[in-house]
Amino acid sequence: MSSLEKRAWLTLWSQCPPYLVYFLIQAVWPNWLTTFQQRIACLAVVAGVHAIAYVTGLLWMKRQERGEPLLLDERDRAIDGRATRTAYFVMLTGMIVVGVVMPFSDSGWKLTNTALLAIVLAETVRYALIVAGYRRTPRLAH
Amino acid sequence: MPTESLTNEVRLLRFLAQDMTQAELGRRVGLTRQTIAAIEQGRYSPSLEVAFRIADVFGKRLDEVFHWNPGGREDAERDAG
Repeated sequence: MSSLEKRAWLTLWSQCPPYLVYFLIQAVWPNWLTTFQQRIACLAVVAGVHAIAYVTGLLWMKRQERGEPLLLDERDRAIDGRATRTAYFVMLTGMIVVGVVMPFSDSGWKLTNTALLAIVLAETVRYALIVAGYRRTPRLAH
Repeated sequence: MPTESLTNEVRLLRFLAQDMTQAELGRRVGLTRQTIAAIEQGRYSPSLEVAFRIADVFGKRLDEVFHWNPGGREDAERDAG
């Protein structure tokens, strides 16, 4: 498995579970967190779990790779570039919704959470496409 | 009937070059071992520059390493359809 693919798996595994829990709480029990401090604390816990899981995984990977630098060749860059192009449009759509459409009807934490959702979705799409890129049979166009 | 439009002899040439490893070939042409494996399995077509570098490592011409089958892709698509 290439270094980029390993990092993509690591990002997916460290990012998706905590943010899935966070957005589930926001969607199913929107009134559970009432004060600003509670909401910020919840977000901080989720971001903290993500960061700890990612850094731990990264350190473990570095140890497995015995300190070798991350080598990316033309195939890795092609896969990454295609995934990033698609994720860009996910992010663009999310930002249009948050910055152009929602301000006319919503405000506060709804805007914040939708922006966060757009970022997490874009990142998830990017890394999922990277993982899929290493598995697809058809050839890549340069 | 061909199912690939581009095939190659990289695996055979590695074997003939004292069983050169994928990692060694990758190091000499600037690719990772995984990409060399993908090229050999027909899952990735390298850029023209890398194809020339691979041929150069084995002291061969490009067309001795990589083979283009013009009808390959159409045949494969027709078979799939």
